[in-house]
Amino acid sequence: MSPTLERRISEQRARVLVRSLDYRQRRHASGVWFRLRRVLADAGAAFVIPEDEARTLIAEGHRAEPVGQELEPPKLIVMASSARIAQIASAQPVPMRLGGELLSAACLALTPFEETA
Amino acid sequence: MTFRDRLLATIRAARPVLEHPGVLVVGSEVPNLLEPGAAATLVVSQDLDIGVPVDGHAAVKRRLPELRLHFRPSPDEPSVWTPRSSGMLEVNFVGMDPTLDPADAYVLEDDQLPLLVFGALSLVAPGAEIDISGTRIRVPRPAGLLLEKLVTDRTGEKGDRDLLVALGLLMTANPADLDELDGAYRRLRPELRHTVRSNLTLLSLIEARPGMPDPRPRRDAVAALLRRLETGDEGLP
Repeated sequence: MSPTLERRISEQRARVLVRSLDYRQRRHASGVWFRLRRVLADAGAAFVIPEDEARTLIAEGHRAEPVGQELEPPKLIVMASSARIAQIASAQPVPMRLGGELLSAACLALTPFEETA
Repeated sequence: MTFRDRLLATIRAARPVLEHPGVLVVGSEVPNLLEPGAAATLVVSQDLDIGVPVDGHAAVKRRLPELRLHFRPSPDEPSVWTPRSSGMLEVNFVGMDPTLDPADAYVLEDDQLPLLVFGALSLVAPGAEIDISGTRIRVPRPAGLLLEKLVTDRTGEKGDRDLLVALGLLMTANPADLDELDGAYRRLRPELRHTVRSNLTLLSLIEARPGMPDPRPRRDAVAALLRRLETGDEGLP
């Protein structure tokens, strides 16, 4: 076998091993990134909001996503309608990608696609 | 000379192999070739992946002398044939074995044409035959090609671009293609189904890139596919 093919097959097998490890750990701490992405994938838009506004939303019965508490430091991630978020004057939209703006936010409000379409 | 010119010249030069029964054009050039007029607007790597069924390997090998006018095997990797002219692309031969587990891979040893056989390509089935400047090539059915893209681990810039190619396939898939994708997904074992869903979440959050489909206005379609695949799947994540 050529060294190149040997290297490629070795890399492929290594990727499979890592994937199997990731899969076995999916319910544990390292699976948090998948769970976070899964929540974000269902959101049409994301906004950074102040903590008091996030707690108000939760008190109103809006859903707090458990994955936020699995991060360190923890985040409050709340799903709410775009109409409700529009009432929060200080809400700042952030791009829907795993970038610094989204990841550094202590409190995030997410709006579903149906509300943003 | 444009990238499209080079792609089409490569297809013409590789015609003896590409028109052989069972051979498929696979990989990221497929969406480029499926664009109207094979417009090839997506920015992908500069090679043409040729899928060779392992049970047709010997027959394809017999056609290789006809390619030597335009290509030569790479001394570093004999499954890659490099063009003799800058007006063409590399061709990369890969093996397809329908009996192989999608997570597995092996090397089909051969002194002339060794093949790296990727299990993910076992998900790919022959689809439409299309005419590219007089060469009849066969491309995979969209569902299998899309699933192959999603079941493979994707990292880094190339991984993101491969996922954006998957997005392009998703955007052109019709309801029957999605039904077929759904059925094939459910036949995967749980670990691979998880990989598919994980790649869809990555796709949902990828930044836009020049020369590739913009994922942002399509995120709702990605979310809808995720929800569809999760329906009835017990024990998630």
